[in-house]
Formats: sequence, structure tokens, C-alpha cells
Amino acid sequence: MNGSSTIVKVVSLAIILPALTFGLYIIAHGHLTPGGGFQGGAIIASAFALFLVAFDKQASKTLRKNLLSALECLALLGFIGLSFFGLGKSFFFNFLANSGLIFGQAVPFGPNPGFINTAGVIPLMNFLVGLEVSCALTIIVLTMLKAGGDKK
Amino acid sequence: MILHIIALAAIIATAVLAIEFKDLLISTAMLAAMSLVLSLEFYLLQAPDVAITEAAVGACLSTAIFIIAIKKTARYENEAC
Amino acid sequence: MKLAKIAFFLIFTYFLLACALLLRPFGKPIVSDMDEYFILNAQRESASNNVVASIVFDYRGLDTLGEATVLFAAVSSIVLLFRGVSK
Repeated sequence: MNGSSTIVKVVSLAIILPALTFGLYIIAHGHLTPGGGFQGGAIIASAFALFLVAFDKQASKTLRKNLLSALECLALLGFIGLSFFGLGKSFFFNFLANSGLIFGQAVPFGPNPGFINTAGVIPLMNFLVGLEVSCALTIIVLTMLKAGGDKK
Repeated sequence: MILHIIALAAIIATAVLAIEFKDLLISTAMLAAMSLVLSLEFYLLQAPDVAITEAAVGACLSTAIFIIAIKKTARYENEAC
Repeated sequence: MKLAKIAFFLIFTYFLLACALLLRPFGKPIVSDMDEYFILNAQRESASNNVVASIVFDYRGLDTLGEATVLFAAVSSIVLLFRGVSK
């Protein structure tokens, strides 16, 4: 394997950064527009898969399996721990909504322009689930890319 | 209504082509095209969440995994690996 | 034998056509009590404009927890499967 050609590298660089930005937008606006943690995480993981296929040597130094697996476990534990915080009323209770703290603004009924500072724990859970899904799908592609040797 | 019929016919045509080809790389490309038309059909049925998931997972990640597996094993169906 | 095959094909085609013609119209469910409740109360109770997000992360949070656990199990099994042949 001599690595990819120049055309593949340039076109991949032109696609990877807009795809990452689009995935982060989908995660951050998960409580206002269609999409959420799983969808944004899948888009970010597909951008990382393109990075792994096009830049084989450099990508193996940047995306290491130990770092990705640690991030995935931390995100999953944070998601479960955040759901335990609402245990005063019930499991998965939205304790930050309409409370005036971070993400605690109330929403008027009916169509409105959409305020980013609303929805309680839903943006935090979106961020944690997006981190978990992107790390998990990247680990799958990375493990299958490293396994075995090429066909002679 | 016309767009629904065109999308469903394209899904069936690409699925049959993916089975019929003996070159597995072209079959993988046909599966990616089927996922793309399926995400268009989900968008026409007013489910944008499912359309985003289908386009990201079905058309990009599973195609990458299939191509990596083809690179490690054999490209044609009758070839012994 | 061939007659039986043709008869089965005709009956099955008639069954599929009847099912397709007897479907109820698009976007009109029979029971819509939960839909009405979610649409009327989701913006007040969970303060989110996206009703789908408020159902996935607030009303039905255990489903999302199970989905994340399934993904974690899939990653663990793939890493376990390829542990001997990695470079």
C-alpha cells in the first residue's frame, strides 16, 4: 500500500470539514430541528471513516483506539448518571426544564422562532449520546481496517 | 404520488441489480444507491429523523465496512480466497 | 402441479391487491389519544420545540438507554472478535 492518490486526498479534505461542522450543528440544535444525538454522531463517524480511508498513516496516529474507547465509556456513564439526577421525582425526569438555570428558559405554546436556551437536560443528553455514537462507530471501522493483512 | 412510485421502482431495481452482479464492488455501490433512494422515500413520507440516519449509516458507514471486507478477501463471487 | 402453482400465485396476488386497496388513508390513525397529549403538553412539560426529541429523551428515556447499551455491546463484541488478528 503506497497510500491514496492526490485526487482522493484533496477531495476528502474538501468534504471532511463541512461534514464535521454539519454533524456538530445537528447535535447542538437537536431540541429545535429534526435530528439529535444519534443522527449527528453517525454523520461525524462517517466523516472520520472518510478520514481513515483517505489518510491511512496520519489518521492512525491521530485516532487511537484507547482514547476513543475511553471517551465512549465516559459518555455512556455520564448519560446514565445524568438520568439518576432526576430521581427525586422519577428516573429520567427532566429536572432542569422551566427552572431558570442553564437551559432552563420556558417556551411559549405554539409556533415560535426557537430559543437555544431551553429544553432542560435534552441538549446535554444529545451531546453525550452524540459523543458515544461517534466514538463507537469509529472504533468499528478502525478495528476492521486494522485486522489481518491485505490480499496478495 | 408520482414521486413515490418512481422512488419505490428505483429501490426495487437497485436491489435486484445488487443481487444479480457478480462483481461485489458494483453490488456494494448498488446497495449504497438503494439506501440513498430509501432515505429520499423516508423524507417524502415526512420522517426527516429516519432519513438522516438512513443516509449516514446505510449509504456511508456500511459501504465503508463492505469495501474494507472486500479488500481483505475476494472481489468476485466465484473466486476462491 | 403446474395448475396448483398458478392458482397459488393468483390467490396470493389477489390477497396482496386486496390488502393494498383496503389500507386506511395516509396520516389518519384510529386511536390518537397519546398523540394529542404529546402535541398539546410537550412544549409546556419538557420545554422543547422538537416533540420527537422530548419523547426520545424525556418521556421514553429508557428506550434510548437500551439503544446506547446495544451499541456498546456491539462494539465490545467486534473488538473481542478481532483481538487475535490485529496488526
